[in-house]
Amino acid sequence: MARATGLADRALDLVMALVEAPINAIERLIGRGRMPYVFLAPNLVLFGIFTFLPIAIAVGYAFTGGTELLISDRPFVGLDNFRKLLTCESYLVPGSCEESLFWTAIWNTLWFVGFNVAGTLLVALVTALILNRAIAARGFFRAMFLYPVLLSPVVIGLIWKWFLDRNGLLNVFLQMLGVPPEIFLLDVGWSRFFVVVVSVWFHMGFYTLILLAGLQAIPKDLYEAAAIDAATPSRTLFRITLPLLAPNLLVVLILLMIKSVQIFDEAWVLTNGGGPGTANTFLVQYIYQMAFAGDLRLFGLASAASVLMGLVLLVLTLVQLRLGKKVES
Amino acid sequence: MGDLKLKNLNKSFGAVHVLHDVNLRIDNGEFVVFVGPSGCGKSTLLRIIAGLEDVTSGSIAIGGRDVGALSPAERKIAMVFQSYALYPHMSVRKNLAFGLENLKFKRAEIDARITEAARMLAIEPYLDRRPKQLSGGQRQRVAIGRAIVRDPDIFLFDEPLSNLDAALRVQTRAEITKLHREMQTTMIYVTHDQVEAMTMADKIVVLRAGRIEQVGTPLELFDHPRNLFVAGFLGSPRMNILKGRITIGDDRSVLVDVGYSTLLRTDVDSTTVAAGQEVLAGVRPAHFALADAEGLPFEVQYHESLGTETYVYGKLQGQSEQVIVHQPGHFAPAPGAILKIMPLDGRLHVFDPASELALARGRA
Repeated sequence: MARATGLADRALDLVMALVEAPINAIERLIGRGRMPYVFLAPNLVLFGIFTFLPIAIAVGYAFTGGTELLISDRPFVGLDNFRKLLTCESYLVPGSCEESLFWTAIWNTLWFVGFNVAGTLLVALVTALILNRAIAARGFFRAMFLYPVLLSPVVIGLIWKWFLDRNGLLNVFLQMLGVPPEIFLLDVGWSRFFVVVVSVWFHMGFYTLILLAGLQAIPKDLYEAAAIDAATPSRTLFRITLPLLAPNLLVVLILLMIKSVQIFDEAWVLTNGGGPGTANTFLVQYIYQMAFAGDLRLFGLASAASVLMGLVLLVLTLVQLRLGKKVES
Repeated sequence: MGDLKLKNLNKSFGAVHVLHDVNLRIDNGEFVVFVGPSGCGKSTLLRIIAGLEDVTSGSIAIGGRDVGALSPAERKIAMVFQSYALYPHMSVRKNLAFGLENLKFKRAEIDARITEAARMLAIEPYLDRRPKQLSGGQRQRVAIGRAIVRDPDIFLFDEPLSNLDAALRVQTRAEITKLHREMQTTMIYVTHDQVEAMTMADKIVVLRAGRIEQVGTPLELFDHPRNLFVAGFLGSPRMNILKGRITIGDDRSVLVDVGYSTLLRTDVDSTTVAAGQEVLAGVRPAHFALADAEGLPFEVQYHESLGTETYVYGKLQGQSEQVIVHQPGHFAPAPGAILKIMPLDGRLHVFDPASELALARGRA
């Protein structure tokens, strides 16, 4: 053990000696005041290459047409892509739109966001309230609810697909109860229902954790004061707990909304690519299909759809942050 | 009616026994202070009375009614917390109204009570502010106001002044005392500060390690502490303790020999002691007087002048503990000087070193 520690120490010394000389040289060259930027630089470069640059490129692609990959080979088409996406007789009827799949995806995404945000928020809140009480095996339950968060979305999709299949566990169980089997993922209603259920189950642990942290920050003596003040449990919940949890609820709401709009991987695997038909084709899947999965690689149209989605998310976030400031004051 | 009776109360947290067989009677309208060092169980006792902790065994009765199984809200008590525990997201007015709304009071009655409490506590200007926008002293008043509007049979205070600065503490102390005079309601007040206990209480309950050491008026406890702990805990600076032996005089009077030719006169009952018995003699700093020739030789080490009074620190030869002597006004003995000091008549406390109990007094 002692020898291993000695070895580690010596390795560390060697690394430090190797790093020290160039760092000192840079510091002599640019001065101590600018050194923080030197340390930030590697991360900034990576961030730039893999985040900011692609955003800029996508915006550029949104104004080009054709199917060529390199932007230099692509013709500039101005706002054509946006015009195509936004031309509709009625936005409420996707079939009346020039790009009807885009609007089908938008409406699918909207209802998914609605149910998923409401469902996850409710389930996470109730779970957090229960886990905040002094129940037996609290640590075990906390770990259990967080566990799905650690899995890959594709794994989640596959697990639930097996579970819901014609010969899946759920049908086996239903048959034991004498209920005729149902092909859940081929039914529009059931498949939409289970996309929400899977998403809630997958992500609730993370949001539960945020809400639990908020609940534990509420001083215990406020509850004691409320008990002396003859507050019933429901009044304590609605007049003490929820108002004091509001900042955390807002964070959860913003994160959940953004995450819900981005629904793709687990739903794509679960529904075999958005089926039945286009019942579970969401916005990100539309973008993916346009750019990479179709016979024609419509990078321009996909980029324009991405830019629109980004703008909507930006507006949503700004509105919520503004609301958040009101909640705090 | 706000009288309280605790009978054979015991409380354990798991294996830790924090209250042992507490028996206590508090009369309606009394101001009672629970005092003791940290961890003596005084706050736990208060929380048990409030209903925030349940008892392990024993009974609690308020106004002759057994409240052991009742919720805090049903006990007709109100509590002021050390942290104030004001609802941070509600205005002062809402804080005061919350309890009454829960009890389904009529709006007009709620408003009347809030107006009255706000007037008593001079918090009218802050009624629409949030607790965060108030100073510590103002929050304290709001916390007291929240208790007043409930019109409880018993007020419970859990170290309510410990978060205030020294000047505000003295002021608030006086205000709570005044409030008690006006309202004539039973108040139970927990503190570790013996000055608060001495100045505010009708009755002091001294606790140590989960046991009641003594109950009595402030002056009863000050003048006749039942044991060494109470003697040391009340009074500042602490009582001086000297080692000595009993000597019986020719007239059956009991004297204490602390190692000098001068013997100290006591009012201990001579039938309860034997000559030569080892004792501890206690004298408060203010109960030593300077003597002429007859007296204990006190070697000055240093002194502290507080302007209106002076504390002289030094040693009695042959005694190991430091001795403090109080003198009124300005007094500046040189270090190393030998002063002759004597306890005032009737101010010598005598304790048994083994049991730490005060020795029985005879009829003087």
